[in-house]
Amino acid sequence: MNRILILLLGLPGLLLSGTLLAGSLIEVQQAWIREAPPTSRVLAGYMTIINTGDSPAEITGISSPDFAKAELHRTRVVNGVATMVPVESIPVPAGGRVLLEPGGMHLMLFDPARRLKRGDRVRLQVKQSDDTTLDFEARITRAPDDNDAHNHPR
Amino acid sequence: MTKPGTITLARRLLPFIVATVVAVAAGLWVSDRYFNRQADLADLHGTRFSEPRALQPFTLTDYKGRPFGTEQLKGKWSFVFFGYTNCPDVCPTTMSVLKSVASRLDNKVPGVQYVFVSVDPERDTPEQLGQFVTWFNGDFIGVTGTGQELEKLTRQLGVIYMRVPDEKSPGSYTIDHSASVLLFDPDARFHAIFSAPLKAADLAEDLTRLANAYR
Repeated sequence: MNRILILLLGLPGLLLSGTLLAGSLIEVQQAWIREAPPTSRVLAGYMTIINTGDSPAEITGISSPDFAKAELHRTRVVNGVATMVPVESIPVPAGGRVLLEPGGMHLMLFDPARRLKRGDRVRLQVKQSDDTTLDFEARITRAPDDNDAHNHPR
Repeated sequence: MTKPGTITLARRLLPFIVATVVAVAAGLWVSDRYFNRQADLADLHGTRFSEPRALQPFTLTDYKGRPFGTEQLKGKWSFVFFGYTNCPDVCPTTMSVLKSVASRLDNKVPGVQYVFVSVDPERDTPEQLGQFVTWFNGDFIGVTGTGQELEKLTRQLGVIYMRVPDEKSPGSYTIDHSASVLLFDPDARFHAIFSAPLKAADLAEDLTRLANAYR
C-alpha cells in the first residue's frame, strides 16, 4: 500500500528523469508496540525496515501523533549492564533490511496521548535523510511469549 | 559331594556376603545418582556458583508496604531482576520472559517466586511498582528501598545501576542497570546467574534441574 503510494508519487519524477526505479524504496513491515502496564509513560516499538530500491537509504527520525515525543534508540548490553543509546540515524543498504527488535534497536515512544491497549493501532511516520517521509501503522500487542524468536545472541 | 564343613562355613559367611553385596549395590546406586546429578548440572544455560553465597542483611519494602529481606527469600527459589518501571525495552522484555518462566514451571517446581527490584525509588512509588509487576503476573513481587538499603543488596551481588541524565529533556533520566536475572536458593543464597539475552525455556529448564539436585 505504502509502496504503491511512493511509486505513484514518484512516478512523475521517474518519467521526467527517464530512469527506471532509481533511488531507495523504503517499506516498513511487522511494526508493533509492546503493550505496557497502565503506569508506563514510555513504550517501545519494533519493526523491520526494508529497502527495495537500488540505492542506500537512511532513516533519520520517527514521529507519531499518538505520542508527545518519539526517538530511535538502541539497547546495548556491555559487561552485563544494559545501556540505552540514542540513535541518530539508521542506514538501510540497497536491497537490505534492518530489524528493530527487543534488546536491540527500538523506537522510544514517550507519553502516549491515550491509553493504548492490545489490538489498538497507532500511526507513525519515519523520516529519511532526503526529508521524504513514510507513514505506517503499528499494532499494540504483547510480546511473543518469551521473545525466544527475537532474542538473538549478539 | 560337598563336605559338611564347607556348608557350615558358607552358612556362616552368608550374612557377610549378603551385607557386602547390598553395601556395594547401595554405594553404586548413590554414587550413580550423585554423579548423574553433577553431570546434569554441568551444562546449565546459566552460571551456577560452586559455592552459593550467603547474603548479608538488607531491608527493602514490597509494594504492599511489607519488609523484604533475606527472611523473605528463605524457603523458596527466587528469580530476582533489577530495573525500573519507566524502562521501555529491557525491563518489560525481561518481565515477559519471567512471566513465561512462571507459566512453564507452573507448579512443577514448588515454591518459586519472582522479584522485581526497582533501582528507581524516587519515581517508582509503591503504587507504580505494584501496577507494573502485577500487570505481568499477579503473584510477582515488586520491592524497592532507600538508596542505602538498595546498595547493601546490590554491592554484595555485583549488580550495577546508575542514572543517566537525558540531555534532550532536562530533569528526566534513564538508568543503566545490570540486565542479568539472579537466582537465589531456598537458603537465601546467591546460587546462579543468567545473562541477557534471556530465554524462558532455558531458565525454566535450569531451575528444574537445580531444584532436583538441591540436597
